[in-house]
Amino acid sequence: MDELYLDNIDEFVNDHDKIVTYKWLSLTLGVHVNTAKQMLYHYLDHKRKESSAQLHATYLVSGKFEDNGQTVRHTINRQDVFRHMFDFRYFNFMLLMFLLLMLLQGHKVSVVKEDQLEDFKSKMSLVVSVHVYSVQKALLKDSGPLYSVDYDAVKDNLKNCTNYPAARVLNVPTVCSVCRYSAIRCAGAVPMSSLELQQARQIHQVPAPEPEHKKPAMNGEANASKPSTKPQKGIMGMFANKAAPKNQDNVKDIKTEQKEDAPVAEAPKSKPAAKANPMMNFFGTQTASECCQQSEQSQYRRACHKSKRVVDSDSEEEKMEKKKRRRIKKPEPDSSDEDVIPDSPQQMKTREPSPSPEKEVEPVSHSPQGNSQKTRKRRRVLKARTFVDDEGCIVTEKCYESESYSETEDDVQATKQASKDPVPAKRPASHKPDEKKSQKKTSANANKGSKQASIMGFFQKK
Amino acid sequence: MTTLTRQDLNFGQVVADILCEFLEVAIHLILYVREVYPSGIFQKRKKYSVPVQMSCHPELNQYIQDTLHCVKPLIEKNDAEKVVVVIMDKEHHPVERFVFEISQPTLLSISSDTLLSHVEQLLRAFILKISVCDAVLNSNPPGCSFTVLVHTRDAATRNMEKVQVIKDFPWIVADEQEVHMQEPRLIPLKTMTSDIVKMQLYVEERAHKT
Repeated sequence: MDELYLDNIDEFVNDHDKIVTYKWLSLTLGVHVNTAKQMLYHYLDHKRKESSAQLHATYLVSGKFEDNGQTVRHTINRQDVFRHMFDFRYFNFMLLMFLLLMLLQGHKVSVVKEDQLEDFKSKMSLVVSVHVYSVQKALLKDSGPLYSVDYDAVKDNLKNCTNYPAARVLNVPTVCSVCRYSAIRCAGAVPMSSLELQQARQIHQVPAPEPEHKKPAMNGEANASKPSTKPQKGIMGMFANKAAPKNQDNVKDIKTEQKEDAPVAEAPKSKPAAKANPMMNFFGTQTASECCQQSEQSQYRRACHKSKRVVDSDSEEEKMEKKKRRRIKKPEPDSSDEDVIPDSPQQMKTREPSPSPEKEVEPVSHSPQGNSQKTRKRRRVLKARTFVDDEGCIVTEKCYESESYSETEDDVQATKQASKDPVPAKRPASHKPDEKKSQKKTSANANKGSKQASIMGFFQKK
Repeated sequence: MTTLTRQDLNFGQVVADILCEFLEVAIHLILYVREVYPSGIFQKRKKYSVPVQMSCHPELNQYIQDTLHCVKPLIEKNDAEKVVVVIMDKEHHPVERFVFEISQPTLLSISSDTLLSHVEQLLRAFILKISVCDAVLNSNPPGCSFTVLVHTRDAATRNMEKVQVIKDFPWIVADEQEVHMQEPRLIPLKTMTSDIVKMQLYVEERAHKT
């Protein structure tokens, strides 16, 4: 054994006037507890031989204690008992059980002063273990300082206790002897493998995406409160009042396509969504009740919007997104009129011959038929609706509506609807100028909201 | 990080409470370790999560409590510079002086959420150091007694004379004999620094006690 430890212990004891316990020494020097005991023993023996300054030592004695022929069941210090039990050099699980049995039969573990050691040992019928507990300069009057010495060291080492399998197996949470330097070992306990660790982490991560999926399933108020993928739209919709001539259909198309991407990119966007939701809720609550009333109009709008989306979208979603964003940038006042004026579609219905609504419905009707053979999905589209409230004010609200779509049929529907869209778009343009302004406002809001990926985009535009 | 001023009396009261609690434990432990009173009157108690010795004698306990009750207002206002536990022999000559130098920062800044636990840890170290001060001090002669001195600023002294904190428990100016020691030997024991208080403990021991 390296002799340097003697100087270390001498410094602790004589220079710092510390009480050096084997546990404290083990944690300080980073050695096994049994090695620390041996160190203290050698140091004490070395100092006694040198006849240097007087040192005092305490010993831990364990064994079967008999008093007047009777087995005594008595322990001085519970913590000493547990600490000692787990510090046996030859300790294993079966031995622990044996010791517990002995405890029940009168096994005693005590910390005694050096001058009382021999007397105490003589009273024990069987001495199981004797080792140095502490070395100090001062003559201790009681065992309180011994506990105080180890308290902080043990407390700091508590974090290491749970990392070691022996502690888990034995279910001893607070005994810091269960550490890397402890004598406790259990062959049956093994640390968790990396696979198990990953599974445990995944279990904790799974609940996170669930709330995001629940949001699209809600209608009404939830629609107003959830630009989950594009919260900035809602925020920008509040600030961007200028009527950028943007086809609202394009906006909705973009939003639908964005929703297609929502499952992929929902996680990073959820945070901005959380921020924007209060704002959207603010606007959403005002028009939540009216949202349901406009459901019929929204269905026709969906068809018109859908046709435009079909025209502008490609097979790939990313290209569709880009096109949508481009559409947002390019103002198209004519196309936006239809979305702004709620009455226009109705008028379209009245004026147009019956086949037109049917035609509008056809793509929708065909789509399910077609989708039976091909993949059909439903997606939520952020659509802006403009309507006149009771007070005669034009109110534009954005809400999410679910619609079915098919990637393969989008092209077909786009071609069909593209031919129809200009016709209805022109007619609303001839109507109320106020509605046009609101259209511009809403389109601008939609455009800016849909294309903006961040709030900074708002400033970039200006 | 929260920054408070000394005008925040509530925080000063908290600091005073902490220090007075500690001083009470320390005084009891000093009396036990230095064997001023027989060890039989002491019993083991728990403070700062460690075992400490506390007297069971009611008059002794009352005396210590009243003393600290009067010191507390001084600590609140940061008027107490030192609190000294003087152990005197039969002739009332000091043989040992346990000096607690206390200082509080003007601007109290709390920089950590674990401030109190950190302070408790530091006070625990003080308790441990008092427990083992036997190693560096010589034995006291038999028949020793003790007293508590408080070193304050002049204004605080005048205020104490005007306002009697506890009835029938007057404070008087200490004698020169009690304040100064012949041939003192300075033994530093412990120093602590925290966000709310700085304190150091050292012992002035007379070279020849007998």
